[in-house]
Amino acid sequence: MEANELAERLRSNDPAVGLRAVSALHRLAEQVETASVRQARQQGWSWEQIGDALGVSRQSVHAKHGKREK
Amino acid sequence: MFEKFTAGARDIVTSALDETRQRGDRRIGTEHLLLGLLHDPGSPAAQALGVDLAAARAGLHTLDREALASIGIDIEGITLPAIPGSPKRTPFTSGARSVFERAVKEATRTKSRRIAPEHFLLALLDCDAQDPAAELMRNLRIDPAAVRDRVGGPAQRHR
Repeated sequence: MEANELAERLRSNDPAVGLRAVSALHRLAEQVETASVRQARQQGWSWEQIGDALGVSRQSVHAKHGKREK
Repeated sequence: MFEKFTAGARDIVTSALDETRQRGDRRIGTEHLLLGLLHDPGSPAAQALGVDLAAARAGLHTLDREALASIGIDIEGITLPAIPGSPKRTPFTSGARSVFERAVKEATRTKSRRIAPEHFLLALLDCDAQDPAAELMRNLRIDPAAVRDRVGGPAQRHR
């Protein structure tokens, strides 16, 4: 897709672009979370501290990322 | 329904699931079915499309990158880790389910007893303009009418 074609679609408020952006953001958030949790663990953060930083409980962050350690 | 699929058609579904997981998408959509169809580059369906798997994956990535750029997020040149597999099951989108329905109709129309990759291809070519597969085909400059000619399908949409 040409750059001006994209600009055109944004000007015309094509919802397909915005909806695709939301879906890409979900995936991006998962990737950033995975990388950051891994780093935090390597640097000695507790599950509680990571949960607090993410705004979720220690249990839920551990359930999601804990088994990936080792 | 899957018992009526040929081995090639089953492989497309398996490959589509792999593509969905690799990308970290939560549902198997029509764009994943299109990628799945390209896993066997020698198949008549893949030949008729005239693009390879790498180009199609890149096209999908471009669509994502441009969509993110439209809201001010630039992921150009950033390497992110692969998304770890989720234990949850991966359902089909409603668009993908209608591709199956149309593939069955196509097989019935041509009096085939089994659903083959070509039936999938014709069903994918008939996707609505809003559908991710249609969007991807536009990005890849694939002309559905020309592909339909090459694979010997009906000239018009037959829904």
